[in-house]
Formats: sequence, C-alpha cells, structure tokens
Amino acid sequence: MSKHRLFAPLVVAGVILAACAAPPAPAPQAPQQPAAEPTQAAPAAPAQPAGDEPKVAGVDRRFDGVTLRAAFIGGGQYEKMYESIKDWEAATGAKVEIVYKGDGFEIDKKLKTDFAAGTGDYDVVWDHTSFFSQYIPFLEPLEKYFTPEELKDFSQAILKSATRDGHLWLIPRHADISVVHYRTDLYNNEQYKAEFKAKYGYDLAPPETWKQFFDHAEFFTGKEPGLFGTNFAGKEEALSGRFYEILVANGGKMLDENFKPAFNSEAGVKTAQFFRELYARKLVPADMTSLLWDGVANNFCQGNIAVHNEWFGWYSYFQDPKNCKVAGKFDLIRQPVGEGGIRSGWAGAHAFSIPASSKNKEAAAALIKFLTSEKIMYEEAKLGFLPVRDSVWARIIADAAKSDNPLDKKRLEIAQTAIANDFFAPPLIAEWIPLTNILTPKLQAIMLGDIDAKQGLDEAAAEVEKMLAEAGYYNK
Amino acid sequence: MLAPSLAIIAFVVVFPLVYSFYLSFTSYTLLKPVANWNNFANYQRLLQDPIFGQAFVNTLLFMFVTVNAAFLLGLFLSQAIARTIRGQSVLRTLLMVPMMFAPVMVGFQFRWFFNDQVGLVNNVLTSLGLLNGSIPWLVDRWLAMFSIGVAMVWMNAPVVAIILLAGTLSISPELYEAADVDGANSWQKFRSITYPLLGPFITIALTILSLDVARGYDIVSIMTGGGPAHRTELLWTYVPRVAIQESKFGLGAAMSFVTVIVTVAFTLYLFRQLLKSRIL
Amino acid sequence: MRRSSRRRLSSALLDLLVWLILIAMLVPAFWLVFTSVRNPVEVNAKPPVWIPRELTLEGFKPLFGQATEATGAIPFDRYFLNSIVVALVSTAIAVALGTMAGYVFARYRFRGKNTLFLGIMLSRAVPGIALSLPLFLLFARISQAGPVKLIDTQLGLIIVYVAVNVPFTIWLMDGFFREIPAELSEAAQLDGCTEWQTFTLINLPLALPGLAASAIFAFLAAWNEFQIAGVLTRTVNSKTAPVGLFDFTGQFTIDWRGMAAMATVMMIPAIAFVFVVQRNLVRGLTFGAVK
Repeated sequence: MSKHRLFAPLVVAGVILAACAAPPAPAPQAPQQPAAEPTQAAPAAPAQPAGDEPKVAGVDRRFDGVTLRAAFIGGGQYEKMYESIKDWEAATGAKVEIVYKGDGFEIDKKLKTDFAAGTGDYDVVWDHTSFFSQYIPFLEPLEKYFTPEELKDFSQAILKSATRDGHLWLIPRHADISVVHYRTDLYNNEQYKAEFKAKYGYDLAPPETWKQFFDHAEFFTGKEPGLFGTNFAGKEEALSGRFYEILVANGGKMLDENFKPAFNSEAGVKTAQFFRELYARKLVPADMTSLLWDGVANNFCQGNIAVHNEWFGWYSYFQDPKNCKVAGKFDLIRQPVGEGGIRSGWAGAHAFSIPASSKNKEAAAALIKFLTSEKIMYEEAKLGFLPVRDSVWARIIADAAKSDNPLDKKRLEIAQTAIANDFFAPPLIAEWIPLTNILTPKLQAIMLGDIDAKQGLDEAAAEVEKMLAEAGYYNK
Repeated sequence: MLAPSLAIIAFVVVFPLVYSFYLSFTSYTLLKPVANWNNFANYQRLLQDPIFGQAFVNTLLFMFVTVNAAFLLGLFLSQAIARTIRGQSVLRTLLMVPMMFAPVMVGFQFRWFFNDQVGLVNNVLTSLGLLNGSIPWLVDRWLAMFSIGVAMVWMNAPVVAIILLAGTLSISPELYEAADVDGANSWQKFRSITYPLLGPFITIALTILSLDVARGYDIVSIMTGGGPAHRTELLWTYVPRVAIQESKFGLGAAMSFVTVIVTVAFTLYLFRQLLKSRIL
Repeated sequence: MRRSSRRRLSSALLDLLVWLILIAMLVPAFWLVFTSVRNPVEVNAKPPVWIPRELTLEGFKPLFGQATEATGAIPFDRYFLNSIVVALVSTAIAVALGTMAGYVFARYRFRGKNTLFLGIMLSRAVPGIALSLPLFLLFARISQAGPVKLIDTQLGLIIVYVAVNVPFTIWLMDGFFREIPAELSEAAQLDGCTEWQTFTLINLPLALPGLAASAIFAFLAAWNEFQIAGVLTRTVNSKTAPVGLFDFTGQFTIDWRGMAAMATVMMIPAIAFVFVVQRNLVRGLTFGAVK
C-alpha cells in the first residue's frame, strides 16, 4: 500500500545484519537503564566514536501514576523496540498501554476515523512522513517539547520533511529510501556482457541512468527461463510513488509552487511512457498491476528479476539463502539519473507524534525521546533498519566494517549518501493519499494500454486540480 | 414480543442509515468532520463520475451472473447427489465445507490461486503442458471478473445445493414411478415433476443468495481491490475508497445510498416472489 | 437390456462428474490446511514445488503464544475467545428475539404486517459498507456521552450481530410457526394456558429444527463477519478472529503460513457447531416450504 510499508520486515528472515556483522554488543555490564538514578537528558550526542555507550533519553523525569495510550505499528521487526518500553516505565514510573497495533495502512485508516469521531484517546501514535500532513489538525506541534540541542543529531533532511507551516509534527524513528538492486550473476556474465555490447553499443554495467535501466530490463527479459527485466509495485500509493520518483529524476514535478498539478508535463508523459513501454513489451510480469511490495520483492528473491528498485529494508531477507535464491548474488547501486540530471530517492521515515487531544503530553514527549534515543535507535538499526541519527550511523558503519561481506558496509554508505542527497518525500499535503487514489488507476490504465499517456495524465491532473480546489488550495 | 427485534434493527440499521442519509447532503469529510449542508452536490457529482457509473454497471452484472451461476451449479449438484444412493451423506457433509470459510479467507485463498507468477491455477496449467507462459487472471478485465466470480460461486453454491437437495428428497417417489410407467426420460421427469415442485425451495435458496451477495465485498476487496485501473471496481469497493481512503465521507455516503437501493431492489424483486407464495 | 446398460454407464459418468466437482470444491479447504504445514518459501516458489520437502507445525506456534521470526506472538486466544463470546451470545439473543417476532408474524393479524415483514427482511440486505462507518460514528458518540461503551467492546459487536441476524430468524421461524396447526394453540388456551405458555410449551418445542437452522446461519454469519468488526474493534478487548487474520499481514509481507494456520483453527468451532446442529439444518431451512 505504500511506502509506509517501508521497512521490509525482513520478516521471515529475521536474521538480519546483526548476524553477519555481529557487532560486539555494547558491553552488557555497562550502566544500562538508569532505572533508579535518572540521568540527564542526553545533550544531543554528536557523532561519537563507536565504543562509547549509546545514550538514552527521556528518563530524567518521573511521571508516576500516568498511563500513556499508544497506537503503534506492529509486526515482525517493528515489535522489538517495544520490549524496551518497560525500561522507560521503570525509570519514570509511568505505564504505557499499546492499545492498537497494525500495519501503517491500517493505522492510517484507524487514525482518520478515530480523529473524526473523537475516539482517538491516544497519547503517542505512529506517524510517517508521507501521512502526517493529513493529521495536522489533530496533532500537537513538537518543537516546544524538543530543544534544538536534542534535535541536532537527527538527519536534517528528514526533520525538514517532518515540518510544515513552521511546526515540527513528528520525531523520526527510522527511515528508508529506494536503491537499485541488481543481480551480479547476470551483470558479471561475460557472455551477456559481450552480447549486450554488441546490441546496445555500450558496456553492460549497473545502471547509471534510467535509460540504461530500461535497456537492461529489455536485454535481460527472457535471457533465462522465467526471467523478467524488472518490476515495480504496481498499485495504490506504491505505483504513484514510483512514478513520482522517476518523474523527479526526469526534471518533472508533481505539483507546482501554487499546488497546481504539474505531472502532466513533458517529463510526466515521458515517465508514464517508461512504465507503459516496460509493460507493453512484457519486460515486467503481466500481473505487476496487482503487485505490492511483498510481491515485487518475492519476484526478485526468487531470481525472476534482473534489476529493480527496492527498499533497503529487504537486505537481510534477500541475503538469507533460506529464503532467497538471490542470496549473495546481488549488489546495490545508488538511484540512476533521469533526464533532468537528478538522482531521486523516494524516501520516508517512520515516526512518532502526539495527538493534540492527549492529556499527558509531557510524558508522551518523554516516551518519544526515549524511543528515538541513540541507544534504542542503535538497537533497532542492528535489526537492519536505517537510523535517523548521525551518531547511530557512525556506530553501525563501524560495526559493518567488521563484516566478511563488503556489501554490508557498502549498503550503509550508499544509504547514508542517498539520504543526505537524494531524499525526497511526497508533497506535504493532506491530500497526498487521495491524489494517489486518482493518479494510480490512471497510471495503471496507461500501462495496460487502456488510455494514451498524455491523455491519461491530463485527465488525472484535471481531477487532482478539482480536488485541491475544493480543498481550498487556490483561494488565497 | 415484536418490540425488541424492531428496536435493535432500528438502532443498528435504520438509525445509522438515516444519519448517513443526512451526511450525504453535506460536505462532511473525515479530515474536516463538519456537516455543512451542500444540497445535492454529492449526488450531482456521483452522477457525473464515470467510474461510479462503471462500478454501478459492474455490480449489477456481477450480482446477476454470480447469483445465477451459483444457483445453477447448486441445482445441478443437488440433482446429481439426489440420484446417488451410496455416499450421499458424505457428499452432503463435504458440500458444507465452503460454508464455514470466512469470506476474508476465501479472498486470500483465491487471490493466491489466481496469482500470475506462483498461483495454483497457472502452475497446474503449466505443469499439464496446457500453458506456456502465464495468464494474468487478475489483470484482464473479464478474466478478473471471472476469477472473482469463481470465488463467489464457490462460496455460495453449496447453500443452494443443500436446500434444493432437501426439496428434491421430499418429493414423493410415486410421482417418478408413475412417470416411468409413462416412459418419460430423465429430462422430462425433471422438467415436469422436480422443477415445479421445487418452486418454494428455489425461492428460499435465491433469497438467501441475494441476502448474502454483499458479503462479496470481503472477497473482491482482497482479490483485486477494484483494480487494476478500476477494471473490477464494484460499488462495494468504490464506496470505501472514496469514503475512507479519500476521506470524502459525504460523497461516500451518497454512493452507499445508491448501493443500498440497488441491493435492496435486487432482494425485493426476489422477495416479492416469496411473498406471493406465502398465505397472508 | 441395451438401454439400461447405457443408462448405467451414463449414470456412472454423472457420479464421476459430481465427485470431480466436489473434489474441486474442496481444493481451497485442502490447500488451506496444506499451506499451514508447509515451508512458506515453497508456497511462493517458482517453479512450483509440488511435493513439500518437509511438513511442520511451526505455523501454529504464534497462535499458542510463541513468537516466531515471521510474526510476533498473536494474542490468538483472546481473539478466539472474543469470537466465541460474540458469536454465541449474539446467536442466542438473535434466535430468541427472532423466534418471538416470527411467532407474532405467524399467529397475529395486524395492520401493516406485510410491509413491516418486508421492511425487516430488507434491513438484512443493507450491505455492510453502507453501515459500518455511520455505525462507527454513532457508536463513538454514544461511547463518549455515556457509561455504555460500544467501540472496541464485545457488547458493541453483539448488538450489531443480533440486528443483522434477527431478520433471517424471523423469516425462518415465521414459516415454521405457520406450519404448526393453530388448533393446537387454541386447544391449549382452552385448557387454561396463558399466551406465553402456549408459545413456550406448545409451539416452541415443535419449532426446534427451525431454531437450529437459524442458529447455524446466525452463528456462521457472526463467526466469519469481518467488515463491521474491522471498523468497531481495536484491541484484544474485542478483536475477533477474522480481524485478527490481518495480524499476519506485515508491512511488506504476508505470513501466509501463519494465516492459513489460524484460518484452519478458526474453522474448527464452525465445523463443530454445524456438526452438532446440522441434522436439523435441512429440515429447518425448508420446513416452511413443504406443504
């Protein structure tokens, strides 16, 4: 359903980076949870040399008798973090009740209906950079609870995409960003290299541009039984997001500065045509329009895809030979450049917010400080999630350097570069999801050949404009 | 003795319907939950919405085809089972299995069966050498409707079969013996004895079918969610898409009203038949 | 002679066809159980793996409180208990209310009776999508205003399921009571029975098969209902098993095996319940139609 399914919960695999990297776990005897003696809130740690203890935060005040109600994302690797909550409870005397758990898409529906009906008596909720704009009327601005000092360590690109109307609405927990995955056994095959050179006139190497990406997809399709060139998640927000990503790379925009739809530009048509051609020439599986993240990843995992755009979060799942035929046979490369000379990485961050209706905002803020503290984030990063604090990046890269598999470290470096340079979140408007609801079916129709690319995008643009007009975007 | 039933139906069905009827004339959205009266704007809008029109037609077509197909399959099974002497009770028990499936699970199960890459149907066809490549069951418009229809029929045919089986068994054997004496063949016997006498049972079966047809929502929403490109959009999938995902609740309420009218009219039609056979 | 042997052949072919169709109809059930004991990697493998290399009960672990790598522990016991309570209680109430109402329809004449009967039946035809959200908004208001909580409680679901199942019960029971000669009731009243006694002592016992049939339908409808429960429930306080199935859909993946395992276990009470009352099902469903 969307990028909020960001982190590939490595679900089945679970083994995760930690298994390969096996970082010497932070010495267990070290002062762990300051249960009895509350420490000072961590004065935002600048990237520290690994070896120091990662800091906790949000445990310097007692909240005896307070019970916080939380709605969190659930399932697989997401759950591990919640085990640490008992330490926070011990340190502060507060209680945390997780009253709702679901995947991001479910929580989104719940939050919307709960906020509307006034039944959302939560104190801390899951949030996401792609979703929070919808909830703003019901959220508490967070800048008054977090000092600039506390926020310094967080990735600034992400904080920027968490800010709207001058207020900070969420505190990131971890991030994900797209990256191209390709099969090394195919790309390093000498025979294929020669054939490719003969046919396309340049060397076969991991794609630097989307044009090359297309050539590779075309070249590899059918090279081996059941092999497709590539695939994309082909429905719901996922498809609109993938379109958006390449649109930006091609120099296009989703909306202009006046919030008028701009995706039916020349760059937009080119991008839509890219998807149409992939589909029409059968370079992607025919049922791509019904694939979401799990389906796309499974196709790659089974070795049926040569090169594709994927989230970092799947890494340890793909690397586990118990699950995947491609284990040990793939590599990553930063997003290709589009015709606009831009590398764009669709990205998002899972995060926490405080509803305006909460009666325990101070305690809620303290819990968020704890959950996004260096220590907890480091623990979570060891599961394979991409952290959102510079200090934690430093730690996990140092850890990965000790791994036998050079890709363990390389992937983190790519991720850090990508997050620093290519990171872009969808437009911060409440109507982003409704917008994708209009755009995605049109893109599907274009891919399936039901409608011409230009006409399809024009129709979608007209509908989007109408929707945004009704929402009052053009009144000022 | 009637009051409690009426009260609870009023509370759970009538009251919310009236409320959503009211909201259907307002600009209520989930993100701005304020009921500003906007006359018939929502209704005007849905009349102009080509996707709504398509969903409307799809829904009628889908209900018509699946109800009939489930009925015919059920009728066939009931007649065939009624003839068998050995193993009849085993057959009848097996027949009830689909009734215990949660519709949600039916959706998941059939979505996987019809999966293009790893689904059972394509795998079987490929293994039998009947298929080279794969059939995109859930992508092509008619194939997708067909696949959803198969799931619906699978879930609904057994109820029909069980009711009609009971009906058939209740027909006096003497009637058939008399027909045998006259030299009637099986088809003639079915046409002139079984079918007319099954009349009331058929009405019951069709009524149950029509009451349950909206349960198809669980199946469709999981198998295709109305996609791709609105190809399998039904009113049941389109309403929540508008009302929750796009959070246009007022518009969604207007649409759901049309849905209610369609479904109720469909049931009413079948029900009329039933009322005729009642002595009032 | 020749004719009868041809008949026998065609009849054997027909039997074969029926068995084939039935077996085909059982494939989804079989596949569900099969999936629940297979290695999930094989289920989605391409080319397909027809013969599993190993069978395992691993998929059932999360249901019984053991977290696996794929899924955290699922509070299945709570979901299951919620389902049982909600389905049984709502069935009992729906059958009780519907039987009383059906009796009224069968025995008494009053103005607007047919319209009312029709109206009640049509209320059953209102699709869940039209109902779930307004119902949620109303229940939310009630929960905020007063002491009665209808959101995320078993009570809220029970009320809804009773309302959904009452019409069908009324319909069936009306047919049943109609078939019981009114003379019986008249005789009982002459003997000094009150109206209530006539209903409970004379008519009700004769209508038992109808009760059983109504109960099966009400139970299965409540047991498997997803749409309204999906909106009204939140937590283990009220979440029922069909909603709980979605615990297996992760952010990116579906733990298909775990889900199949849970669906398999979910069918057990349904089968047990149907098995207990099934002998009455056919008779109950069709009694009113037999003249």
